[in-house]
Amino acid sequence: MKNVQIILAGIGGQGILFSSRLIAEWGLRSGLDIMGSETHGMSQRGGSVTAHLKLGSFRSPVIREETADILYSFEENETYKSLKFIKSGGICFANLENENRFDRKVLDLLEQKEITFRTFDASGTALKIGSVMSANIILIGYSVGTGLVPFEYDDLKTVLESITKKAHLETNLKAFEIGYKAGRG
Amino acid sequence: MAAKSKTQEETRILLGNAAIGRGIVEAGCHVMTSYPGTPSSEILPAVVAFKKELGLDTYIEWSANEKVAFDNALAASMSGKRAAVAMKQVGLNVASDSLMSSAYTGVIGGLVIISCDDPGPHSSQTEQDSRFFGMFAKVPVYDPSTPQEAKEMVKEAFELSETFQIPVILRPSIRISHARQNVKLTPVEKLDRPADFEKDPARWAATPRYRLVLHRRLNETLKQIQERFEKDTRWNYLVEDGDGSSLGIITCSMSFAALMDILEESDLKGIVDVLKIGTPYPLPQRRVADFTREHEKVLVIEETDTVIESQIIDKSNVLGRLTGHVPQEGELLPSVIHNILADFLRENGAAHLEKISDTGLADRIDELELPIRRPTLCPGCPERAAFYAIRKALPKAIYTSDIGCYTLGINLQAVDTVLDMGAGITLASGFYQAYHQDGNDIPIVATMGDSTFYHSGTSSLLSAVYNNARFILVILDNEITAMTGMQPTPGLGVTADGGEGKKVPIEGLIRGCGVTWIRTIDSYEVEELIELLKEAREYTLDPDGGIAVIVARHPCLIQYPEARREISIRVEVTEDCNGCRYCIDYFECPALRLIEEEERIEIDRKYCIDCGVCINVCPRGAIVEAVD
Ligand code: SF4
Ligand code: SF4
Repeated sequence: MKNVQIILAGIGGQGILFSSRLIAEWGLRSGLDIMGSETHGMSQRGGSVTAHLKLGSFRSPVIREETADILYSFEENETYKSLKFIKSGGICFANLENENRFDRKVLDLLEQKEITFRTFDASGTALKIGSVMSANIILIGYSVGTGLVPFEYDDLKTVLESITKKAHLETNLKAFEIGYKAGRG
Repeated sequence: MAAKSKTQEETRILLGNAAIGRGIVEAGCHVMTSYPGTPSSEILPAVVAFKKELGLDTYIEWSANEKVAFDNALAASMSGKRAAVAMKQVGLNVASDSLMSSAYTGVIGGLVIISCDDPGPHSSQTEQDSRFFGMFAKVPVYDPSTPQEAKEMVKEAFELSETFQIPVILRPSIRISHARQNVKLTPVEKLDRPADFEKDPARWAATPRYRLVLHRRLNETLKQIQERFEKDTRWNYLVEDGDGSSLGIITCSMSFAALMDILEESDLKGIVDVLKIGTPYPLPQRRVADFTREHEKVLVIEETDTVIESQIIDKSNVLGRLTGHVPQEGELLPSVIHNILADFLRENGAAHLEKISDTGLADRIDELELPIRRPTLCPGCPERAAFYAIRKALPKAIYTSDIGCYTLGINLQAVDTVLDMGAGITLASGFYQAYHQDGNDIPIVATMGDSTFYHSGTSSLLSAVYNNARFILVILDNEITAMTGMQPTPGLGVTADGGEGKKVPIEGLIRGCGVTWIRTIDSYEVEELIELLKEAREYTLDPDGGIAVIVARHPCLIQYPEARREISIRVEVTEDCNGCRYCIDYFECPALRLIEEEERIEIDRKYCIDCGVCINVCPRGAIVEAVD
């Protein structure tokens, strides 16, 4: 398998680091080397959180602008801020309530760079299933459903099962499933 | 999916700091001490975790400050044991007195100092380069470029330290400390070393005359270490992918990692030769001189300052920070290195590398003027309540503050100064004396967190008391070291590995510093706190008065979520709200949202934790307890 560079962006409390761990763990089990990093703001809650994840042969834990294959973004402003990292031909999965509100010009520019921009209201869906904290897993499930990412449903699910704390297992699996189905459309 | 490898070697995804912790454990280290501080805070907890997992009997402590941590580790080393001490770069300032002296007296068991740098800076008051402290104190420095390398370097650092009887510094930069990598674990060394301090006053209590002898010995030791680094190919090596380029780059740590990825991804391998340095001090001079001689132009890319570059003797063909080819400040992110490389290649006619410049996308996103999410205190944070009360009670005061979550009181306009750990009190005392000299007794309110007070508050406070200073000190006691990730304070009586320690109550310390006016209050009691502050101000003006100390105590809600449920006052915003923004500008709870179109405030239930403190804030009384 070839190298993959992934960015996960959002704000504190959205489970960015868990999501990053999920994918990293998948990479490890697929025999890939892992290199990544995370940055978060000074306070404990509500600041920007970004995780960079590189699967394959890399040395640096930080992704350069215009080289990421995939961006997962869990919050609207963080989406705007992180788009510069995606390479031409890359993909963005954005947790967005309403795509129509997204800046038209930015969408045009993404199109020019042949960046696939897929949005899904993961937070809204999470609220519906009564688990606001699961938006991250829903969005990842969604991306797997679209078939545009290198992770297979069964593999990622197995990893999810093994790294989730017992108390949250049922919710996480449900969230993954719902996202996946929505992604398959 | 590939099956897990069946070899003995276990691989785990570890944070850089956890890899360092693992290295400490694998080296058979007996004693580990630390004071928390980003980016070093996760090292000690990793050692605790491995200790528990492997059933080891490592002694581990969170010390009151970095100097205390250093000295405790040093004594273990003087007793023949292996010891590690971890801190952030500015922590080494605090421990530097001990570092300088211990370089002379040396060590017995391996002593490894881990000082994590913060180029950026992301979470520090300076971008200082710990490697310079190595040069300053004359102790060797290792500089890792990946978590795996950091782990291996820790182990070698112990061995080097013991071989040459000298303390050794490991300097991970923040990106290494906070990187995650699949790291190969190796078995833990078991070293049976009962404490055995051999008295030798000429060495351990050396007088100035003998210090000269020790200094001479230290210089000789450094020469030997330098010779060893000259021969080292594990951390210092050449990457030559072409057949002899005329351009060379000398680099280290995170910069090396980023450069290699850029060369690989841009198909530029072979265009430049790279000399990677993992032991920046003492610099393997011959290796570096050979490299600069063999290349027409050599660029030095290192973080955070000019440690390698400054040590190069013949700089006639060397470019770097000193020649303006590398930015003098700020982090060398991959994009920055990319552009430095592009310029270097272009100026020397080597190859074309497109610079990362503002694309249409970046410009458009700038135009959107997205709100900058400035860091802010959590919803329901007790420090917010205290700051609000301070500003309300004494709006004209000088507010000296300190390092911690509560530095964010700056957003509430209740923090005027932040210098370093402990300066909340010392600057207050200094301001008092400067104004008092002119017969002007202005109000001064110092704020300091509990952990900071334990770290360096007492000597400042007792000195201020002794010299008749007058100000108000508010200790913001949230019963934890919150900003760095919830480490216990001496006030809790819980040790680093969860064992029972002896509680050291803060009020007793304050009393011990000679303060007689001490009041304790729940930070959430805003009205009472305002009254108390006014009373405290009177006391500072009273001829028989002095320094007034208020301990504003309320547990951090992230660490103690149960402290949240006890209260629960659900608030709502009434029709009386006219969107004046007062609550946003002076209170700034993230759960208060201004709906501009409607000119009113809304409570964002996703964030609100029902603390009810904002009821005290609205001048129109528009925030009220909800009637259900
Ligand atoms: S709640 Fe009160 S302080 Fe806040 S905007 Fe409305 S009127 Fe102003
Ligand atoms: S009750 Fe008021 S101060 Fe407390 S969290 Fe909610 S909005 Fe913020």
